[in-house]
Amino acid sequence: MRQLRTALPMMLPAAVFLCGFLLFPVVCTMVNSLYHDSPLTGREFCGLDNYRRLAGDDQALETVEFTFIFALSSVALEMVAGVLIALAISRVVLGRGPLRAVVILPWAVPTVVAAVMWKYIFNDQYGLLNYLVYGDSLSMYRAWLARPATARLAIIAADVWKASSFVALIALAGLQSVPQQLMEAARIDGAGPVRRFFHVTLPLIRPALLVALLFRVMDAFRVFDLVFVMTQGAPAGQTSVMQYFGYLKMFPEQQYGYGAAVSVVVFAIIAALSVLLVRTVGRRGLVE
Amino acid sequence: MDARGMCVLAAAGLLLAGCGGGGPEEAVTGITVVTWRPNSPATWDRAIEMFEEANPDVRVELQTGPSSSTQLHDMLSQRLRNRDPSVDVFVMDVVWPPEFAAVGWARPLDEAFGPGERERFFEGTVEAVTWEGSVYGVPFFLDAGVLYYRTDLLSRYGLEPPRTWGEMVLAADSVLRGEDDPSLYGYSAQMAQYEGLVCDMLELVGSAGGDLMEPADEATVRALRFARDSLVHLEGMTPPGILTYQEQESLELFASGGAVFHRNWPYAWALCADTAGSEIAGNVGISKLPSFPGGETVSALGGWSFGISAYSPHPEEAWRFVQHMTSPEVQRVFAVEVGKPPARRALYADSAVLAANPHFGPMEAVFEAAAPRPRSPLYPQVSHRLQSFLHEAVGDSGSRIPEMARRAADDIAEILERAGG
Repeated sequence: MRQLRTALPMMLPAAVFLCGFLLFPVVCTMVNSLYHDSPLTGREFCGLDNYRRLAGDDQALETVEFTFIFALSSVALEMVAGVLIALAISRVVLGRGPLRAVVILPWAVPTVVAAVMWKYIFNDQYGLLNYLVYGDSLSMYRAWLARPATARLAIIAADVWKASSFVALIALAGLQSVPQQLMEAARIDGAGPVRRFFHVTLPLIRPALLVALLFRVMDAFRVFDLVFVMTQGAPAGQTSVMQYFGYLKMFPEQQYGYGAAVSVVVFAIIAALSVLLVRTVGRRGLVE
Repeated sequence: MDARGMCVLAAAGLLLAGCGGGGPEEAVTGITVVTWRPNSPATWDRAIEMFEEANPDVRVELQTGPSSSTQLHDMLSQRLRNRDPSVDVFVMDVVWPPEFAAVGWARPLDEAFGPGERERFFEGTVEAVTWEGSVYGVPFFLDAGVLYYRTDLLSRYGLEPPRTWGEMVLAADSVLRGEDDPSLYGYSAQMAQYEGLVCDMLELVGSAGGDLMEPADEATVRALRFARDSLVHLEGMTPPGILTYQEQESLELFASGGAVFHRNWPYAWALCADTAGSEIAGNVGISKLPSFPGGETVSALGGWSFGISAYSPHPEEAWRFVQHMTSPEVQRVFAVEVGKPPARRALYADSAVLAANPHFGPMEAVFEAAAPRPRSPLYPQVSHRLQSFLHEAVGDSGSRIPEMARRAADDIAEILERAGG
């Protein structure tokens, strides 16, 4: 009892912080999503009407589709690329420190800055990509961001470039915990590099990779800045993602209730996926 | 200030006195003006200096927001929604007043900006600030789409500025074939998925006798097919990136000698003529936009006005500032220094304005007849739906325009019916 009396005030700052900055906005958004709310019509309770409208909104469903395509393909590529980068730099002995700094650089660049840079790389007139692919044949130059397929790939490429270094960093930390004796023993037993990787390294760094995977999945589903800077959803909404759609509804169009409903759906998807990931991959990773 | 101005001011004072205008006890009243990030901050500073000299009892704080109209709207609407009393005066894009009026963010200015004074402005600009019979702003400057062309290239091939869109494509084709330059294109315009696309397409569709708010209309579909097949997807007519171009990119292409024809707002004139940034200075002509055979040329109306916040605690001082910024003197300064077409008619006979902008004379009729975009308090929603429809209609070479148009028309009808949400 006395312990509790001392503990409560000590927990207060953290509790206030959590409730004020995390719980309160989330609950507020959930409540808002149950209202029709725009400056023009005022605020009016509407039950689940915003969700019904969302389910029948073709443009919203298209953004859900691309958000899934984006999140799944970019996270998959980032996990592979990140592990490969980590394996490569873990073997470097000379200049390891500077090399690591270089590898983490993309992660340190603010996404908006990276997005502007990639927008220029994909530019149709003076973009680096056109120059690398077509050299001086100007008539061959393509507008990568003007066609649905290439615009989608461009956004995924920009995200992979940026986030692979994050995965690499976490994987590198995991690699350092792999005991050298185990690797030696595997080598003596005649296991080749591929086999050593899949049977020794990978199981041991799995917990680290799970952390990276979780972060990346959550991050990828709430992608906004890349799309906002690079394409604004163009061409014809083909690169629009859920968060960007929600922003359009909430701010330029002033439909606060509908925008809140979009946010809640994004939140629910991320929460469900996180639980799923921790339950399945996580449990297996920890048991082995 | 002339006698007439004093009368208007007195009327404004009477009108606004009951609304908590600055009392006599305050020596200096500060007012806050929110505007987009200007290309010409020095001109703004000078205009404000002129105001403060004539009104020593008011100090103006200029807050500059984003230069993009959409983002400035995001910022302003957030502040006004929260009834922020620290905003007194704001600039309004030509499509905002219906929303600002219907929601109650902009103060009605019927008495201060009386019918007599309104007649001195272009009718379209006054209509743009009018909603349900009341005026909510005073026009600052206007914009209207015009066609720029390369005089040197046209005369080399004995061509006249085109009157129809078809003539323009044929003329561009002759030039392209004669020049045989892979970095030269026929036409450069704004076709990214954003507000500018709505303006460009309003002009094309309107000049065919169609209407953007009737996307499934036959004339509308015909004009969009032309844009898709003869502008966007005709080899060499437009650069491949046209679907990502806003004003700046399209102007860069034209100013670097990369296009025969170019659609833009009047501000592009000064930049094309400037030898420092333009490779085509001295070889640029300007004309009305083409139309389709049997149709009339249509220019989209753009431009900005000043409004006063309904939550401003200093409406009287705010009005004095608005009156100053929209006065002939200040509009003349902006026309001469920045090339903004004044909203006041009289300035089109002003020697200083015409000396700096010789193209304003022949373009006056275009400014006079400029066509407004759809007028609705729900314009942001309507515009987003139109943008995505138009971008796909002209961007996808296999687009089934009538079908997409019907879906867009249904969605727009639904937006107007739901009225918010």
